[in-house]
Amino acid sequence: MAERVAIVAVAQTKYHPNRADVSEEELAYEAIKQVLEETGLTLSDMESAITCCQDAYDGRTIASLSLQRVVGAHFGHELTVAEDGINAAYVAMAEVLSGHFETVLLVSHMKESQAEKSVIENCAFDAILMRQLGLDYTSAAALQARRYMDRYGITPEQCAKAVVRNRRNARNNPFAQEPMDVTVDDVIGSRMLASPIRLLDTKPISDGACAMIMTTEEKAKKLTKKLVWIAGGSNCYETHYLGDRELADCDALVKAAKKAYSMAGINDPLSQIDVAEISTEYSYQEPLWLEGLGFCGRGEGGKLVDSRTLEMGGQLPVNPSGGVLPGNPNGVAGMARIAEAVLQLRGEAGAGQVEGAKVALAHGYTGICGQHQAVMILANM
Amino acid sequence: MAGRVAIVGVGQTRHTSRRDDVNLPEMVGEAVRAALADAQLSIKDIEAFIFSNMESFEGILLPDHGMITEVGAIGKPGLKVTGGGTTGSEAVGEACNLVSAGLYDITMVVSWQKHDCGDATAGISAAAVPIAAKGLVVGAVSEFAKQALSYINQSGAREEHAAMVRLKADRCACRNPYAHLRLGLKGVEDYLKSGFLVWPIRLLDFCPQSCGACVVVLASEERAKKIHNKPVWVVDFEVAHQEPFSAGSFGDPTGTETYSQDVAAARLYKRNGITDVRKQVDLAEIYEPSTWEEMSLYEHFHFCEKNEGWKLIEKGVTEIEGEFPVNPSGGVIASNPIGATPVIRIAEAALQIRGDAGEHQVTRDVKTAIATSLGGPNWTAMFLLKRSL
Amino acid sequence: MSEGSPTKKVEGPEYIRIEFNLPRHYNWSTGRYLGKVYAEAKENKKMVAPRCPNCKQLWARPPSPVCPKCKVDVGWDWVELPLTGTIFQYTYQVYPLWDPHEGERWSNPHPPAIILLDNGIYFRHLLEETDTKKLKEGMRVQAVWEEDYEKRGKGFQDILYFRTIEE
Repeated sequence: MAERVAIVAVAQTKYHPNRADVSEEELAYEAIKQVLEETGLTLSDMESAITCCQDAYDGRTIASLSLQRVVGAHFGHELTVAEDGINAAYVAMAEVLSGHFETVLLVSHMKESQAEKSVIENCAFDAILMRQLGLDYTSAAALQARRYMDRYGITPEQCAKAVVRNRRNARNNPFAQEPMDVTVDDVIGSRMLASPIRLLDTKPISDGACAMIMTTEEKAKKLTKKLVWIAGGSNCYETHYLGDRELADCDALVKAAKKAYSMAGINDPLSQIDVAEISTEYSYQEPLWLEGLGFCGRGEGGKLVDSRTLEMGGQLPVNPSGGVLPGNPNGVAGMARIAEAVLQLRGEAGAGQVEGAKVALAHGYTGICGQHQAVMILANM
Repeated sequence: MAGRVAIVGVGQTRHTSRRDDVNLPEMVGEAVRAALADAQLSIKDIEAFIFSNMESFEGILLPDHGMITEVGAIGKPGLKVTGGGTTGSEAVGEACNLVSAGLYDITMVVSWQKHDCGDATAGISAAAVPIAAKGLVVGAVSEFAKQALSYINQSGAREEHAAMVRLKADRCACRNPYAHLRLGLKGVEDYLKSGFLVWPIRLLDFCPQSCGACVVVLASEERAKKIHNKPVWVVDFEVAHQEPFSAGSFGDPTGTETYSQDVAAARLYKRNGITDVRKQVDLAEIYEPSTWEEMSLYEHFHFCEKNEGWKLIEKGVTEIEGEFPVNPSGGVIASNPIGATPVIRIAEAALQIRGDAGEHQVTRDVKTAIATSLGGPNWTAMFLLKRSL
Repeated sequence: MSEGSPTKKVEGPEYIRIEFNLPRHYNWSTGRYLGKVYAEAKENKKMVAPRCPNCKQLWARPPSPVCPKCKVDVGWDWVELPLTGTIFQYTYQVYPLWDPHEGERWSNPHPPAIILLDNGIYFRHLLEETDTKKLKEGMRVQAVWEEDYEKRGKGFQDILYFRTIEE
């Protein structure tokens, strides 16, 4: 890409099972305040605001109505992206690259505690054909997990290893909701939710918000010495009806990753990427998404999780922040991955720092069994 | 904008109150096919999709996800935006940004709403602050009722003027094969027969809930000229959101506050050297949810002086044959599939610039047009379209 | 462009209609700012609003951590609102419309109004008087509280409506 778009500040609230002490706008403002303080900018300096929230979860038509004041949208521009937070970054990137706006505020928020997640997720399924089956994300994911494991021989133990590593890494993340030392046996012994997904294979209910500020390279240089820019990004859709696609593969992710890699000049992801933050609400998704991202061949995700590659100190540490499994709300997850990737590239990840990280990958998905996938590649200057 | 963007194809469905013959994706698919036919492109040429729909009206989570197969987006990038009534404008704006940023050459905006799946008033009532405004907001109607009262008090407009606006909209709609309400109203007596919803808004003063879809295809400058012999250039766009007025939502009864329409229009006109709107712009497709709002919007978009909007109606200035036509398509009062309405405004303006609007083509030669949208508590989005750069 | 949408004529069996109710429950939090309004209403039968330190404007309904015009922190300077005023504007509902919270159609008999409180702030609320022929803009009104402590705790709805008063 000719010009470069920089991310100059990121912030997250500490993820929490129930933020009944704040309203949506107060929750979002906690994160927004931090990025404003860090850069010394004010809401009036923001030319545009991209919010990321879902009407259904907030229980309010035009959910971003709650956020208008705290993003400074009075007589300004605000747009809501109704996908996972990583896509808000894509939209903001286009706004800056097109020259339409110079400084953009992004915020993603969700309070999973205030709504009945299953009921809302059920509304994502086709009203005539699928909704009355009573599916939600977990039961649909169980279908995908079962198909994936049966087709390629991925084992519950391998999925559990992903949980062990993510929950342990979360100990180094001050924003993590539930860091935990668990063993593979703990995971496999936990209560079954929808076979083969068990309680510890998935994440707890979570409330939180993530904010960031994006601007042009030129302006970024005046705001910070630790520059992080977007080297590539893309997203892709799959079919909606579960029976229409091979659930053991994730073609949308393969396509999104390919496009993002080519923009960033990456042809060997495993060696050219230093750290990856991927979104996994269920443990089986880790080996599956890693295949889609090209870190290993099809069906080899289990072997990858077994190896030391993904550990801290390994060739490609995945989720030094702990990722989504210790607790991240849907919708915020992808933007939080970008935030964590930015912290890595700025050398601010504390105990979870991957030494000398120069190129990071952030991933997010939206919808049933990852129907929409998005990838972003970030680099420091 | 860095790279220049043009509209190279438009398509819409016939907007109606019910579409029992199709399901949601099928309805949207009709508009997609129409737009591709107009652009003479195949679905393979579309590189990215931006979806526009207000999910609360159909009670669906992630409505774009259910569309993917029918619109041909499998394996392609895209996303959905939300923005109340301005959703469609945000979608077109975003699609333009993607092209001018150099990320794609051809993008498609897919917008729709199938109101027979739900209840729009309930959906809009749910936009009120969930705990603080319960029971106070009766959909958009009550808000526009307050706006109408303010307008009557401040400008001296009378019921006959609202009637004239409705008659104009209906005359135009009857010449537009895609419009929803084509009532064939004969005169003011027909208007006065319609009952009140929330006083002083009558049933005929207010926009319907329509089922419809509208699709536009956008292309980069390089590709646009090869695709269509009459590309319509998206020269500029401006968005201004607004806090609810201290004494109202869509109108300011105190007469002291600034409207987002004024702010957006001032910025857009200044950037593009427009000092005399009715001379330098040939047509406007504005988003007017009620008859009273149309007259008020004339003033806020600087088509006339303050408190004189009703005079333009009285003199017939904004008719199809008029000196400054506004909403020759019949406007929002004739058709309102909320997620698609702003895109319809842009599509209709583009057709007028191309001279392809058929029976509702205006008399004046349209080289420059404005398309606007209105959403939430008086948010405004405005687009400036031109025949040549 | 195609002619318009094809309309298929449906003959034969009538449509199948499947109805199921899917209530969605939410636990909305008032948060700090709206929470303060709720607390003052319930405990003290007072209506309060925060004042922006910069423009000094009161943001009553709803209160917010950020001043929309100045875009700065509103802070914690709360002002009690006078609960008498005049009717600035009112309207009345004729046609029963769906209420998403109740899940049914109803016509609120109490007219929604904008009341100009005695301190110059506009406050949107309902009027007690259901006979709209008796209403006129400019009439003096006064808030009527829910007197039962146990029944309060609904924030702005702790004021049942505004009653016209003779003065």
